[in-house]
Amino acid sequence: MTIGSENFITQVTDKIKNWARINSPWAIHFNSGSCNGCDIEILATLTPRYDVERFGIKLQGSPRHADVLIATGPVTFQALDRLVRTYEQMPEPKFVIAVGSCALSGGVFDGCYSVVGDLNKVVPVDVYIPGCPPRPEAIIYGVVQLLESLKTGKKAGPIVVPDIVPDLVIEEEKNGN
Amino acid sequence: MTEKPKEKFVVPIGPQHPALKEPGSFLFTVDGETVTDAAVRLGFVHRGIEKTCEKRNYTQDLYLLERICGICSHVHATAFVLGVEKLAGVQAPPRAEAIRVLAAELERIHSHFLWLGVAAHEAGFDTLFMYAWRDREVVMDLLEVLSGSRVHYSINVIGGVKFDVDKELSDSIMKQMDFLEERSKYYMKIVTTDDTFIGRTRGIGTLSKDRAEILGAVGPTVRASGVKRDIRVNSPYSGYKDYHVNMITDETGDLEARFIVRIKELYESYRIIRLVLEKIPSGDLTTRVKRKIPEGEVISRVEAPRGELFYYIKSNGTEMPDRVKVRTPSLCNWGTITDVAVGHKLADMPMLLAGIDPCFSCNDRMVQVHSTSKPTQLMNWDDLRNYGIEYYK
Amino acid sequence: METNTLLESGKSLIEKWIDASNMPEDNRLDIWVSRKNFKPVIQEIVNNRWGYLITITGLDIAPVIDSENNETQSGQLEALYHFTNDSAIITVRVKVPYSDTKLESICDLIPSATIYEREIIELLGFELINTPNTDRLVLPDSWPEGIYPLRKSFTSLQVPEILAKEQTND
Repeated sequence: MTIGSENFITQVTDKIKNWARINSPWAIHFNSGSCNGCDIEILATLTPRYDVERFGIKLQGSPRHADVLIATGPVTFQALDRLVRTYEQMPEPKFVIAVGSCALSGGVFDGCYSVVGDLNKVVPVDVYIPGCPPRPEAIIYGVVQLLESLKTGKKAGPIVVPDIVPDLVIEEEKNGN
Repeated sequence: MTEKPKEKFVVPIGPQHPALKEPGSFLFTVDGETVTDAAVRLGFVHRGIEKTCEKRNYTQDLYLLERICGICSHVHATAFVLGVEKLAGVQAPPRAEAIRVLAAELERIHSHFLWLGVAAHEAGFDTLFMYAWRDREVVMDLLEVLSGSRVHYSINVIGGVKFDVDKELSDSIMKQMDFLEERSKYYMKIVTTDDTFIGRTRGIGTLSKDRAEILGAVGPTVRASGVKRDIRVNSPYSGYKDYHVNMITDETGDLEARFIVRIKELYESYRIIRLVLEKIPSGDLTTRVKRKIPEGEVISRVEAPRGELFYYIKSNGTEMPDRVKVRTPSLCNWGTITDVAVGHKLADMPMLLAGIDPCFSCNDRMVQVHSTSKPTQLMNWDDLRNYGIEYYK
Repeated sequence: METNTLLESGKSLIEKWIDASNMPEDNRLDIWVSRKNFKPVIQEIVNNRWGYLITITGLDIAPVIDSENNETQSGQLEALYHFTNDSAIITVRVKVPYSDTKLESICDLIPSATIYEREIIELLGFELINTPNTDRLVLPDSWPEGIYPLRKSFTSLQVPEILAKEQTND
């Protein structure tokens, strides 16, 4: 980085943006035809037992203020339009987390006539969290994985949360936090 | 004096809004502050399940139908399984039926706590939302110990159940019922004495007994208007033939009555669960059922937390059903909104909608507001919710 | 009231229009009526406030084709109107051929039936006369006309085509 170059300014502002984003990403939740199983587990992460807000993640309503799109459901034809529009309304840089087996591949609805299936066919997905529905711990792990990848600055393709979610505390210790 | 020209003010809301977690679009017609018309549109969650049922065998359909709704998944599975068992001419063993009732009541409890939290959130009462969902975690834990999963417990199989209740679990459940009963009493107190709550629920959204009957609505929504509709009482099925349920009704018919009915149903659920655990028959958990289900048609009705759930199954002698038709309770309850909303203020809409406890994935709806006065305005659900909270401050 | 009594009281209201009847379960009575008599039957049930309408089920009875590819039995649609009073269920059933799927709407008698009617119109291809609302209920607006997903002839092979049209319409 040479001080004074335009490149430098962009890199600094990018770092600040990333830092701000890592410390308090604003998320918007979109249900593209889900049975609500995943949605209630996402909402459960806000409740006192899991309390995802301590990570600085705030769930709010407008796409224009959101950094992260948390999408559930197998993307029904009806929801397709609005999903794309919501994604387009989000400012760059933006990230997508696909929660649940339905958002991965259609889940149990694979083959149904009114369903697209894999969320990646519609919007680029950064983190997949499998499960039917995934536990709140797995959802938090997935979001934290996204934040970690932002910290290191590289997006190594879509991240898939493993079936057995390692204890968050142990992970953080390993990473020297 | 010239009459003020009537303009249109359309407030479409959604289809995604954080509070209800479910895709819906609302369109109300308002004239100034008052709602003059409301329309319903569904579709976002239409996955084509009924058609897909015809291509899969009964066991696969069980897992598919369970996922119509994450909140009431057990009752969907139970309704389907009861229907198929009737077609096959088998009866699940008594212990299995008792466990089905146990799971159904636990589900009712979790659903009502979930609803209480959401309704409180609509009223701006976020603390109550957090309390209710924290208490709900107790039930989720019990269900997890019983079945291995917090949501989509998959307890049913055609011919019985998969999981058993041992002494340790039985004792845990009993203990937690006491805890939850204490908490429910606290919530009842809040709902009936807190000024903010009363201001937003007493006398609002009143549905007369007559209208409720004619509209064909079901569940706690109509029981709050004095209509005695509860499948567990009118037409007992499964273990409910042995464990009798008391019908909980209220005569007032307003929003407050709907809150009261649901909390009283919680007390009733605690009583039934205690009864089941005390008097659970011993024996097998499943009975053998052939894969090919004989030809026939069956109707299976169960009482979901939101009301009557209706299944019509037509079999053709093969391993796959010919037709499965599902009618979920929230579908017919929407009619009550269009009826009741007229004459109310726009600020009351969030609470009214919460009052019928809509389950979008069971139905997928859109409500739209047309106003006769201002040009079309886009309001998202959060805005409408805040509008309601501000209005009543 | 006892189930049998309820069923009898319901049956007596509409006895004269019944073409055929069957009791598939103890608490159920299925009756078949002609298209012409169908509306008076519903009228009678509603006027006497016998229970409430649970829902309308649509069935597709696919045409029967023999080994020489001849249609021995033409395709039909069947509409089932389920009414319930306490524990008793009476189902009024009407059959219509593919060539003429017209049936009268019952929304003037039961306004909340519009949701069920819209469903069978778009998913099965019924044509309900005077139904107040024919907007798409569960299918997207861009779903092509004439394709009824719940008919046996519809297979998911047609879906990628429909989806492609969806995406170009965006």
